[in-house]
Amino acid sequence: MTGKHTNIPDFSDLTCTNLMIRLKMLLKKTPPGVPVACYVRRDQRDTIEVPFSRSGYEVTVQKADTHRFRVSLTKKVPEMDL
Amino acid sequence: MNPHFFLLGGSLSQERLAWIEECLKFYFVRLKPEDLLHHTKSHEGVFTFLLTGDALYSLHEPDKARTWEIILALPSVQIICDRQELALRGISVEGLKMKHPDQVLDHNRLGVGGQASFWNDVAKIARQHEQPVPSTIGYLQLDSPYMHRSSLSAVKCLTAALEVHASVEFYAYLDGVHCGHHGQNPTEFDNIGSSLEEICEKAAKRGLSCQMIACSRCAAARGYNTWDDGQGQIVSTCTIKPYRIRNLNEMIDRFAKNHIILGENVASIQMKKDGQTSSFPLEEPGRSPPVTVLITTTPYGTERAFGGVSFAIACAAQGIPTQVIFIEDGVYALAGSHTQETDARLFNLQEVIDAVAGSRNFELFAFQPSLHQRALTKNPKMNAVLDIDMAELGQLLFYPPRGLQSGHRRLIIF
Repeated sequence: MTGKHTNIPDFSDLTCTNLMIRLKMLLKKTPPGVPVACYVRRDQRDTIEVPFSRSGYEVTVQKADTHRFRVSLTKKVPEMDL
Repeated sequence: MNPHFFLLGGSLSQERLAWIEECLKFYFVRLKPEDLLHHTKSHEGVFTFLLTGDALYSLHEPDKARTWEIILALPSVQIICDRQELALRGISVEGLKMKHPDQVLDHNRLGVGGQASFWNDVAKIARQHEQPVPSTIGYLQLDSPYMHRSSLSAVKCLTAALEVHASVEFYAYLDGVHCGHHGQNPTEFDNIGSSLEEICEKAAKRGLSCQMIACSRCAAARGYNTWDDGQGQIVSTCTIKPYRIRNLNEMIDRFAKNHIILGENVASIQMKKDGQTSSFPLEEPGRSPPVTVLITTTPYGTERAFGGVSFAIACAAQGIPTQVIFIEDGVYALAGSHTQETDARLFNLQEVIDAVAGSRNFELFAFQPSLHQRALTKNPKMNAVLDIDMAELGQLLFYPPRGLQSGHRRLIIF
């Protein structure tokens, strides 16, 4: 997998379900507050954006080129109950 | 009342038959004790077992036949056998029929053309369920044609569905995508590709809808995807005309509807109370039938286990309440600690399970009796997979999720 930046993986060849699995596996290994970024296609962006933002992740999307987007996911740090 | 039904076409192990038996006992003891006390018998079974293919051997093998006897002793259980498949295999069910004449049926329903077919019985049951007119019947195909007779079942099933004036949908997943390869030319078998095309033509002539969706991941792996526009539209030059290769999510959209979806080994568990009528629109939230995926195969020998988990993840992501139960050989996915080289492309199923556990609409279970039978213990890291015993399996199958309005639960055996 190659991206514009060598350290950001390009997941545009993955299907939506496998992309979700791959991202969840990466996020599992990443501490809360640390972002996980990757390049995806337009249709993949739609698949990621809503489900992850609904389940405790901050999702930011930047257009990389015509059909590719740089997506960044950060697990929100749980707020302390006072 | 519409029946719960199991459509079983694959080889039926004693282990599978045993947990089915226990689930039925759970149902009658916990949910319908009055039926046990009074032993009410109705002409229409509360549980209907539709047996075809190699599942029919279970009626002949002594140990399994004994389990069937116990199942048939429960109230309102009915077995409908595929007479053509019985004859092909030279299996007789006369002994069982003599003991249970009203419950074991091996004469199949006549179709419009006057020919009897097991699939007419299946279509009638699938068509009976609460759904708007015109009705729809779907079929999930996991296996390739010719190597597996289930592809012929799919064709017969969808043909019978048209006879009862139902629109038809064919979902090709895993090796099932091969059913739509163009230019099939078998000399010793019905041509599955041509038959699927004929089904679409017949549907059009009758003013019925016909959709054939193949999973894009499965199709890409098998060399079908000729051109991909990067936005979900895939064109293939090697499939039959009605085939559409689409993202799995598009197939799952169809599972979010309320129609009956059949397959080689599936069940439909009714969830509506007697007498309750529903006027909910199909798309209303909470209306999607919950899906229970049973993972019954070892994790890496075939694509089935990963395919089942992947399918379940996609269902949950689409908002369908989804349970995955690791049962029979499926429990090998949970035992030991699975490791592989870091750059391997194959998913480590335990890592997948660990990563997706806790997702919305998604629950994971390990069937303890299957672990015990294999002298296995669950990997302690798989703590998101909850242990269940026989009674809890019954609860999972027969108790509807809270707030759910759907008429039935889909049970799909991978």
